[in-house]
Amino acid sequence: MKARLASSLPLILGLLVLTLPLLAHHGTGVAYEVDKQITIKGAVTEWIWANPHCGLLFDGTDDKGNVVHWGAEMANPHALSQAGLNKDTFKPGDKVTVVGHPARSGAPRLELQTVTLADGRVLPEKGYKGNGVKLTDEPGQ
Amino acid sequence: MQKRFASILALLTLLLYSQAAFAQTYGTPGYSPGAWKPEELVKRPANPSKPFSPHDLSGVWSTPTKPGYFERHSLNDKWLDIKDKAVPDQMKSQTYPPPMTPWAKAKFDATRPSYGPRSVPPGLGNDDVSTCEPMGYPRDLWEANLRPFEIIQTPDRILQHMQYHDIWRTVWTDGRPLPKNPDPAWYGYSIGRWDGDTFVVESTGYDDRTWLDHFGSPHSDQMVLVERFKRLDMDHLQLDITLTDPKAYTAPWVGEPIIFDRVKVAIFEEICAPSEENHFNDQIRDPAAGTAKP
Repeated sequence: MKARLASSLPLILGLLVLTLPLLAHHGTGVAYEVDKQITIKGAVTEWIWANPHCGLLFDGTDDKGNVVHWGAEMANPHALSQAGLNKDTFKPGDKVTVVGHPARSGAPRLELQTVTLADGRVLPEKGYKGNGVKLTDEPGQ
Repeated sequence: MQKRFASILALLTLLLYSQAAFAQTYGTPGYSPGAWKPEELVKRPANPSKPFSPHDLSGVWSTPTKPGYFERHSLNDKWLDIKDKAVPDQMKSQTYPPPMTPWAKAKFDATRPSYGPRSVPPGLGNDDVSTCEPMGYPRDLWEANLRPFEIIQTPDRILQHMQYHDIWRTVWTDGRPLPKNPDPAWYGYSIGRWDGDTFVVESTGYDDRTWLDHFGSPHSDQMVLVERFKRLDMDHLQLDITLTDPKAYTAPWVGEPIIFDRVKVAIFEEICAPSEENHFNDQIRDPAAGTAKP
């Protein structure tokens, strides 16, 4: 048991360090369960394209067929515009499949990781996280 | 053993990747959303060998967005690395704040930030920035990884144009003294002079409603900042800050040096409009925290 624990230690420490950025950034780590991911299908009701935060509101349905009003937190327009989004990306009624970290409160809110549009396009574009963070090591300059 | 080594190596690689993603943040390619596209920008990579004038601080400056670089969030990142054992040694702060006075400690305890070891969801916090209140100085500086600032020099002043809220901080160089007993100002009152090749800025008169950082560190209206700007080469600017505030801290708080990179960007409008942010809070942030109905 002791040996097992010792061999898992690097993994545990590694995971701790990996999650540090999420916990340290934007307060999203305390608002959303960053180690969980959910997928919700729905239709857009509003696209909030504003500084310093964007948001996507959409209606999904639960297991019983009831409409649930969902909302997804996103980064600022500058960050998202580097990842293929713009003020015209969504219109009310657009079908979307949203993947994200659920709110710790249990409310139908999430931190967006990806959104798939009706035409199959996945945003933010490859190389970016849903919050607009670029995943390459190229300086963004 | 070999397998274990491989898994440790994989973890280290992941760590580097994670830090790169963290540090990369929103980047500063320098175009306004919907205006200039990246391909329309002229490439101007950093070139330390380029000639420069040490008495010319002009340029657009940002903190590095490089793999392994630990973003600066305060005069140092003490609030992260003291409490968080997961922060690697090389990323730990080398300087620390002095103890707070009882007045400052009470102020600090009343804060509910959304960063650091005392984090609460923004919807449950009391960081005024969440409702578009002024960020103030020096907190605005810690945004430089996301939001660069531009320095513009004129014969009698240096202007520091902060992207967030489109703030113009004026540093007077015409020889005037600091005002005595000034009305509080979100960005204080600043005067500057050259000490050799170092531009020394002294400032005071800060409104004590702002936090020094997003961890809720307080300051009083007695705060005096001394900033020493030094252009190291064409593309790098070093800033050392010492904060003296006897009402809040028992000794001067010496920050860690910050190196800004000169970046090929345009400062663009990034105004936090209360109506827009309130809408975001009502629709997303507060429901996520469970403080409002979805």
